[in-house]
Amino acid sequence: MNGGFEGVRLRGLHKRYGATVALAGLDLDIRPGEVLGIAGPNGAGKSTLVRIIAGEERPDDGELLFNGHPWRPAADWRRVAVVHQEPQLFPNLTVAENILVGREGATNGWPKLGSADAKVMKAFGIDRFADTPLADCTLATQQRAEIARAVARDAQVFLFDEPNSALTDEESDELFREMHKLAAGGRIVLLVTHRLGDLFEHASRVAVIRDGQVRAILEGDALTEDGIAEQLVVGRDGETNVKTCAGIDRGGGSLVSVNDWSHAAAFHDIALDAKPGEIVALVGVEGSGARELLRSFAGLESCSGAIKIAGETGDRAQRLSAYVPATRMLSLYSNFSVAENLLVRLGSPEIAGVGMALKKKRMRQLANEATRRFLIRAHSVSQGIRSLSGGNQQKVAIAQALNCAPRLLLLEEPTRGVDIHSKREIYRLLRDYVGADNTVIMFCTEVLEVYEAADRAHVVVDGGLSRQIVVGDYPHVESLATEISRMERHARDDGGARRQL
Amino acid sequence: MTSADSRDPAPVETSRPSLSSTGQATFDLGLRMGGLVLAIVLVALLMFLLKPKSFNIDVGISVLRAMSSVAIMSLGLTLVIVVGEIDLSFGAMYGLGANSLAVMWILLGIPIYAALPLAIGIGALVGLFNGALVTWLRIPSFIVTLGTYNLLYGVSLWITKTSTFNPVYPPPGSEIPTAQLDFFTGLTASFGAHPISFEVVWMLGLALAIGFLLHRTLFGFRLMAIGGNPVAAQLARLPVTRYKILAFVICSMLAAAAGILDFSFIQTTQPNIGLSFTFPVFAAVIIGGASLSGGKGTVIGAMSGALLLAELQQGLALLSPGPHVQQLFLGFVTIGAVALDLALTNIRKRRAA
Repeated sequence: MNGGFEGVRLRGLHKRYGATVALAGLDLDIRPGEVLGIAGPNGAGKSTLVRIIAGEERPDDGELLFNGHPWRPAADWRRVAVVHQEPQLFPNLTVAENILVGREGATNGWPKLGSADAKVMKAFGIDRFADTPLADCTLATQQRAEIARAVARDAQVFLFDEPNSALTDEESDELFREMHKLAAGGRIVLLVTHRLGDLFEHASRVAVIRDGQVRAILEGDALTEDGIAEQLVVGRDGETNVKTCAGIDRGGGSLVSVNDWSHAAAFHDIALDAKPGEIVALVGVEGSGARELLRSFAGLESCSGAIKIAGETGDRAQRLSAYVPATRMLSLYSNFSVAENLLVRLGSPEIAGVGMALKKKRMRQLANEATRRFLIRAHSVSQGIRSLSGGNQQKVAIAQALNCAPRLLLLEEPTRGVDIHSKREIYRLLRDYVGADNTVIMFCTEVLEVYEAADRAHVVVDGGLSRQIVVGDYPHVESLATEISRMERHARDDGGARRQL
Repeated sequence: MTSADSRDPAPVETSRPSLSSTGQATFDLGLRMGGLVLAIVLVALLMFLLKPKSFNIDVGISVLRAMSSVAIMSLGLTLVIVVGEIDLSFGAMYGLGANSLAVMWILLGIPIYAALPLAIGIGALVGLFNGALVTWLRIPSFIVTLGTYNLLYGVSLWITKTSTFNPVYPPPGSEIPTAQLDFFTGLTASFGAHPISFEVVWMLGLALAIGFLLHRTLFGFRLMAIGGNPVAAQLARLPVTRYKILAFVICSMLAAAAGILDFSFIQTTQPNIGLSFTFPVFAAVIIGGASLSGGKGTVIGAMSGALLLAELQQGLALLSPGPHVQQLFLGFVTIGAVALDLALTNIRKRRAA
């Protein structure tokens, strides 16, 4: 289809955000006709790379070459298509109109579907939804519409960014079939995902990005799930390890016990126990049910089954837990100062007295204490929260939850987007906190985080919980990564076998 | 990174005077209020220079009286806007407050001492209605209160049978005892050497009360939190629903009170009073620095906004350059205030970067 098309070359891409280096001279060749997988731990520069190829960001330095010519994706958006987990389309328009938007042609009236576009829609099996509003279609159909829209405008570069985390197995199989068709047609296809199994199965080469550079390209026999898992964590051993007093088994009963815990869609029949003094990690990719499981412990999902926290059930159990979402924007108040953010979960009598009057002096005192205790670096507690660095904002988010003295702290990816220094301090804070007979359960997508922070881990695959992994049994992070990837694979295979019966 | 990331242990100031003592954006707020006060003084000076003879202490006092009902309503609207919602119905509630009082007292013969709390209670019910629809049924507050605006005006027309009321000249068959009439007019009676209406005292008292509520109590703190980040507030298990409803209730009660106070001062009421207050009150709150996206707003700002508007209104009425000038000013001042806000935010962002 493209005689002599050389593909896309990236040369020496640099990108900084403030003091954070996202890309540090990244080189990569992307050939037409192949599916190139991109893997990397959070913060490695993966999403920056995606944004640059998609034209949403410009590199500070370096160049992109399209078929040997300098290329600016932002000016040439028609060539690039990004398929996200959430389609970036117009839910109020019909599927056909979505295919047309931006290429209406020379008409001044309401645009009509041309025969070429109709053919594309037919090829993707969405012609029967042509007049259905996009919002009424399933996610899989919406993604198809997104791909069809790109094919109709003759895009050459397709970026699949965690495309199947919200799809069923059948739907994602079909999605990958379309992906391979695109590649076979001589287009450039990139697959960015945390799911190592998908990379192994569908990519012909996998580029592993760490610290803003391509550190390894796996292909042929070297391309295995375990191989990718190891590459993701290699060289990171013990960088921020603070488990000096980790995993002390105090004996005694558990602080949290969950039985027959099921959710309508995300997980089923979960049994889990956690003792005081423990940090337990739930490891899973997006869509595995791990995130929902964590949220359910905070009472944020409706579930059946039994949960007991420190002997209490129901509302009183929930009040003993505190939840910190992964996105800081979901726990911090941008209109508030550092002090106000720290104290916002408190009430009477901690910060208010008679007639709900705020105890301003006490508040300042509490805020100052909290900044010291939680190692928050700020000029003053009355400075705006947005003027803090990401790591310090994250400490505020965790401190805010810990301030109301919960027994169970529920964290989502507690160090995502946090610099290495703050990361170490956050782990130390968590260790101190569980040291006082409390428990942390955290949802992780990164093996490194499990290795550095957790005592025990469970892998969540398709809404089921694996047997426990005692992190201390693994001498280095690579072996833990291999074990976790093996458990994910087995759980998947078992699940697949069960489905076929 | 920024200097905030230095490795030193947090250097934390022990005390720091600021408007909200744990508060943020003291610098912004200072500039903002400074600008507003400057505008108020400049407008006063300009008026004085243009027509020195007409401007005396009595004109100043009449400005205070004229601003009071707008100011009282802007207090309530500030609470609703801070919590991240909108109320369009307070103008109609102002009318219903006055009209329901007139009907209960003058037509039905209920003593003023009972009719007055009942009229305020109707305000509370309306607020509850607004708040319940917004929180329980999750209908956007813009739509709910646009509906209530019309509902309340309809009720006013209905119960008054589109007639006007004046307690001094009750309709035939009704009798108003002198003691009750004196009590009612006494609510806003004038006092002092330069007569000043007691309505101004009500306004200042309510401003102090709402100011305390918003800036010095847990209630106000949480209103700011809910308006600043409703999702986080929900996750932190703050009483989001209850506080939102309360904000609507207080807003409607204050609107009813404003209507009743103006009724007491003017002594007549018509079915359509209050409706035209909707936009000036919004302008006062916005000029005062509140953000329609929630989480931001002060009582002192809303009061200053109301003062600036009343000053322009009275001044321009005296200078009488024509009715269009007042409208043009209202437009310029509203847009100008928000443009100033954005400019200040940009300056702060650049300082932080």
